[in-house]
Amino acid sequence: MTDEFGDMRTAYGKALIELGEQDQNVVVLGADTTDSLKTSGFGKQFPDRFFNVGIAEANLVSVAAGLAYSGKTSFASTYAIFLPGRCVDQIRNSIAYPSRGEKKGLNVKLVTSHGGLSVGADGGSHQTIEDIAIMRVIPNMKVLIPADAVAVSKLTKTIAQSYGPFYMRMARSKVPTVHSESQEFEIGKGITLRDGSDCTIAATGITVKMALDAAEKLQQDGISCRVIDCFTIKPIDKEILEKAARETGGIVTCEEHNIMGGFGSAVSEVVSESYPVPIRRIGAQDMFGESARDSEIPQLLEKHGITSINIEKTVKDIRSKL
Amino acid sequence: MGLNYYQIKKNVLQARKLVIRGTSAAGSGHPGGSFSMAEIMGCIFSNHLRFDPKNPEWEERDKLILSKGHASPGLFSNMAVAGYFDESQLDTLRQFGSKLQGHPDLKCPGVEFCGGSLGIGLSYSIGNALAAKIDGKDTHIFTVMGDGESDEGQVWEAAMTAAKYNVDNLTLILDRNFIQQDSYTEKIMPLDESLEGDELSEMWKDASRWKTGDKWRSFGWNVIEVDGHRIEQVSDALTRARSVKGMPSIIIARTIKGKAVEHMEDNPQWHGKAPNPQLVPVINQELDSQFMIAPSIIAGDMTNLENEVKRCDDGRADYIHLDVMDGQFVPNTTFDHTKIKELRPLTVIPFDTHLMINEPVKQIQNYIDAGSDIVTVHAEVCDESSFGEIHDLLKSSKVSVGLAINPDTSMPDWSKKFIPTLDQIIVMSVVPGKSGQKYIESTHEKTKNLMNTLKENNFSGYIESDGGVTLDNIGECFADGARAFVGGSAIIGQSDVRLVIREFRNQVLRTRRKLLIQKANELGGTELVNKWIDLHVVGKKKDELTQIATELGFQ
Repeated sequence: MTDEFGDMRTAYGKALIELGEQDQNVVVLGADTTDSLKTSGFGKQFPDRFFNVGIAEANLVSVAAGLAYSGKTSFASTYAIFLPGRCVDQIRNSIAYPSRGEKKGLNVKLVTSHGGLSVGADGGSHQTIEDIAIMRVIPNMKVLIPADAVAVSKLTKTIAQSYGPFYMRMARSKVPTVHSESQEFEIGKGITLRDGSDCTIAATGITVKMALDAAEKLQQDGISCRVIDCFTIKPIDKEILEKAARETGGIVTCEEHNIMGGFGSAVSEVVSESYPVPIRRIGAQDMFGESARDSEIPQLLEKHGITSINIEKTVKDIRSKL
Repeated sequence: MGLNYYQIKKNVLQARKLVIRGTSAAGSGHPGGSFSMAEIMGCIFSNHLRFDPKNPEWEERDKLILSKGHASPGLFSNMAVAGYFDESQLDTLRQFGSKLQGHPDLKCPGVEFCGGSLGIGLSYSIGNALAAKIDGKDTHIFTVMGDGESDEGQVWEAAMTAAKYNVDNLTLILDRNFIQQDSYTEKIMPLDESLEGDELSEMWKDASRWKTGDKWRSFGWNVIEVDGHRIEQVSDALTRARSVKGMPSIIIARTIKGKAVEHMEDNPQWHGKAPNPQLVPVINQELDSQFMIAPSIIAGDMTNLENEVKRCDDGRADYIHLDVMDGQFVPNTTFDHTKIKELRPLTVIPFDTHLMINEPVKQIQNYIDAGSDIVTVHAEVCDESSFGEIHDLLKSSKVSVGLAINPDTSMPDWSKKFIPTLDQIIVMSVVPGKSGQKYIESTHEKTKNLMNTLKENNFSGYIESDGGVTLDNIGECFADGARAFVGGSAIIGQSDVRLVIREFRNQVLRTRRKLLIQKANELGGTELVNKWIDLHVVGKKKDELTQIATELGFQ
């Protein structure tokens, strides 16, 4: 772990260009946010494989589906608030549903940025806290939330090579780097970043760093915490979660998403069926976000309890009830 | 190459029957929208789509995207006719475990799009078209969309996208049937002008009130407007659309929901309802009773045939009958293939060339090259070998094949082997050679007897009555089994061709309604007759049917 920061969108844009060079079938689509998503670089390099459809997300999704049906690997990107929320019907019916034989769904990768509350200044209208819930209930859809730019870069390449529909959410701001450059990412496999025996903190996205910070503090209080980066929300790593439940006796989940229907719910579903232990979910408290300047984003997150301090408190709370 | 006219007609008829078979077996489904696009689908499958039913994933194929997915029976039936799967599969429509899902689905090999959620298909088609361009393939995408579906905002997002990217390898066909689930489109969400009252037919006829084309033009599309039930117009539009480069094309096909079954026509109730299985045989008989009216232009002004063709065009003739006489087979001389070639550019209406010439086998290629869509030769001047040659040449050129017999001739024995693939049989009801003669009464009996032979030999074409057909006898000719009617002086000799064709049609319709009521009575007596009549809720059809039933003593 370092104290460096990385920009997820830059990593995404760079990975796309590398993919574009390796594979003629990679196409990229945008909806008037291509500079912001850093996909415009791909467009400059491969203008024939780049389509900006304007502010028309429903169309974006179905055009991407058509390209995929004709053999392309489509990356369609815009802000998280617009892509699942605005066009869940198109995502369901033109990407996830169409299946032939073993090919389940079409080969479209929906990669969004500006996920969660940390969007900040744009306000509640732009802070999506529902996308995981929406996407993970759609059959054939896989859902990823990388924790840092290293993960984005590697996962962009991984999903390009893995057939089928994916949803991958990035954050707006630069995020602390938690993974080493040599870290491998496998769909369906969580990553244990820190071992521990007293409790587990399962986190996604930008909350992984908070989890690591909390674990460090807890160590000073003599509590040994396991930290898992659950970037792969669907398929979720049942094995790693069941093991954590059995070996540490309690799990705290963290996400930048409503605690209802999101990652915490997914963990609860798995653990309650495999090895029930106490679980506490940290995330948006079933209320919308609001504007916050960059310097104020910690305050906004704090309002929902999405902080390393609250993780610490919650771990202690869980421990006290064991 | 000819239009493949009769073959398309046969395919369309068979597809419609399969829609009835499938939806009545399923007890649900959407026959109305399947029928409004029947000719569109028939043309696409028969003349325009490049596909291989034995290899649905063929890399070089074109793609047909049915955006108005609820009309899936209209897609599946055409796929069955085209050989993707056996027609009996339609019996499994909408059933558990069937590949023929309620809406088109990739589960069925050959289906290219999961339709159902409306407004998606055009965007998806654009994606496929763009992929073909990236790959440098000449794949063409045909997309069939509904008019109610155009309420969806995504359609217009896609419309802009297609124009931006000059997607010219895509042809969008709008099935403009004026009806959506709740009611008429012009009442729910007008694409043209708002509809006042319930006179939909007035809207259909009044081109000055159509605004749909303007919308698409303003979005940067090449717009072609046609009558979506006229095979020659649809097929021609599909060819023209494909030839336009640098911009996307839309064919706005004005159609009638439920077309070809009177009680379903223009009736919003038949958007999504299955026919009563008890009445299926009556509906099938109605579908078998499609008919055509063809003016014979030699009965007009021989010095200005160009104008006669124009009058046929204005008069909405189904096709134009061209009598070629050589002065040998018959005493008169009219014109030959050079004249037909001159007339061909004047209209897209099919040319029904009737060769009253000796040794037709020597001339056939000329008549194909001149642009005939149907060529009929006389049995009296052919034998098995020469007709075989004619038959094969015409078929390979997508020209329909006809055989004619004079009043004093019957179908020769050698012709039997050709009956299953013959498209048309002309039963001459006057001595050929000149127009203006009276119908020979014994032809009625002759036609009825011929019908029996044809049925035994799996004839699937049309019998054409030629000679002395008038308003007074056309009904009886129809009852005999004739389905195409040539009118000389009785049509082209009249001042208002359109009016007289309409009168001929109405006369046939009256007979047809009577025969259908008789069929219903035969199957289920008064009860079924009443059920049949009660279905006819649009316009004044019900009153007319009640009157017929009363006259027949069924009420």
